[in-house]
Amino acid sequence: MPKLETFTLEIKTGTNPGPEKPHFSINGFPLQFEEVEGTTEPGGTMNLMGETHSFPHSLALAGPENDAPDWDIESVSIKYFCAGAEPYTINLGKVTLDDNSDLNIWHEAPPVMFDV
Amino acid sequence: MPSWFKKVFSGDAAKPKKAAPKFEEQGTVITPVSTPPSIDSPALGKPDTAAHEEEASKQRKIVNAPILVPEEEQSSWSDDVRIKAQVEAEGTTCKFLVDRPVLDGLSAWFPSAQWAGEASQLAAKLFDVEGVGSVMLHEMTFTIGLADGNTRPWEDLAAETGSVVREFLKNGDDIVSPAFRDNLPPVEEIKTKVQACIDLEINPGISGHGGVVTLERVTGNSVYLTMGGGCQGCAASAITLRQGIHTTFRKAVPQIGGIFDETDHTAGTNPFFKELPAGMS
Repeated sequence: MPKLETFTLEIKTGTNPGPEKPHFSINGFPLQFEEVEGTTEPGGTMNLMGETHSFPHSLALAGPENDAPDWDIESVSIKYFCAGAEPYTINLGKVTLDDNSDLNIWHEAPPVMFDV
Repeated sequence: MPSWFKKVFSGDAAKPKKAAPKFEEQGTVITPVSTPPSIDSPALGKPDTAAHEEEASKQRKIVNAPILVPEEEQSSWSDDVRIKAQVEAEGTTCKFLVDRPVLDGLSAWFPSAQWAGEASQLAAKLFDVEGVGSVMLHEMTFTIGLADGNTRPWEDLAAETGSVVREFLKNGDDIVSPAFRDNLPPVEEIKTKVQACIDLEINPGISGHGGVVTLERVTGNSVYLTMGGGCQGCAASAITLRQGIHTTFRKAVPQIGGIFDETDHTAGTNPFFKELPAGMS
């Protein structure tokens, strides 16, 4: 498992807005994003940067809390900066988070494959 | 283009994962049980029992979004057989993903050329390739294990084994012999024997480490299991699976093909990985 130093997120919101200031959790512990730009209003885009400097057994973007409306996410682009490795990007498609769900945003680098 | 095609050739083999570990403060020891403490929680060290019970009853779940495949990685059917190779973590096996079924609904495992014998002409041909030590055929994949002492680089070996499989599939020959299929025990019989192995040998053996193995299902002659408790997230679980569980299962039912661990080793209620309280290292 690589050591994740930092990661960036670009979240495009669909029809339902998300939290004003989203947060994430690593290995079950909640943390704030270091940088937040943009909006999670409908149709908006938010760019975030999180610092972890740790080995992510789990990494999750927190969904809405306490009866807040569902968050329609159109897409999420995650760029991972791991120690001793080239950065890589994973693009996620549509998903809706309710007030009881978080989004898994930890995906290891795609395996190196070659044609034979 | 079939939906599985994008998946196979996207490098996205991940299945939806189960819930990630949740942590709850209990006194000074953090154990992964329920909802993470609120980010606004002012005092982690002062547990409020009622509040925690309420929180525990409302566990948050982790959901997965589909991973999008870049356009350039998408492919379409062609007359040629497309094969991608992926050397697995330890470097001793290489999994090949084929753009069409190799052995639909079944799996076949051959630890030596002798085992392949007349059961599978394809496996027998693969053993003719220098450096091949074991062969596993399953659905749209085949996995090659290196022979002991092999020094041949994977790129070279993979190219040759890929050619063998490509030619074989183009010819449309049977992957396994009718006798191989006829000798497969019924699913229920495999289930019963595997469950007995788990109950009588495996779980008593690993319970000392807090581990537990659960049989999830048997499909054809493929066995799917999960590893829980202390096994979950344990770095040695792959060795336990390969050296202990595989051997025990195959001894009980030699016709078992693939044995697959479906555990999400990053999640669960008691994963091997635990955060230590502040100040401990």
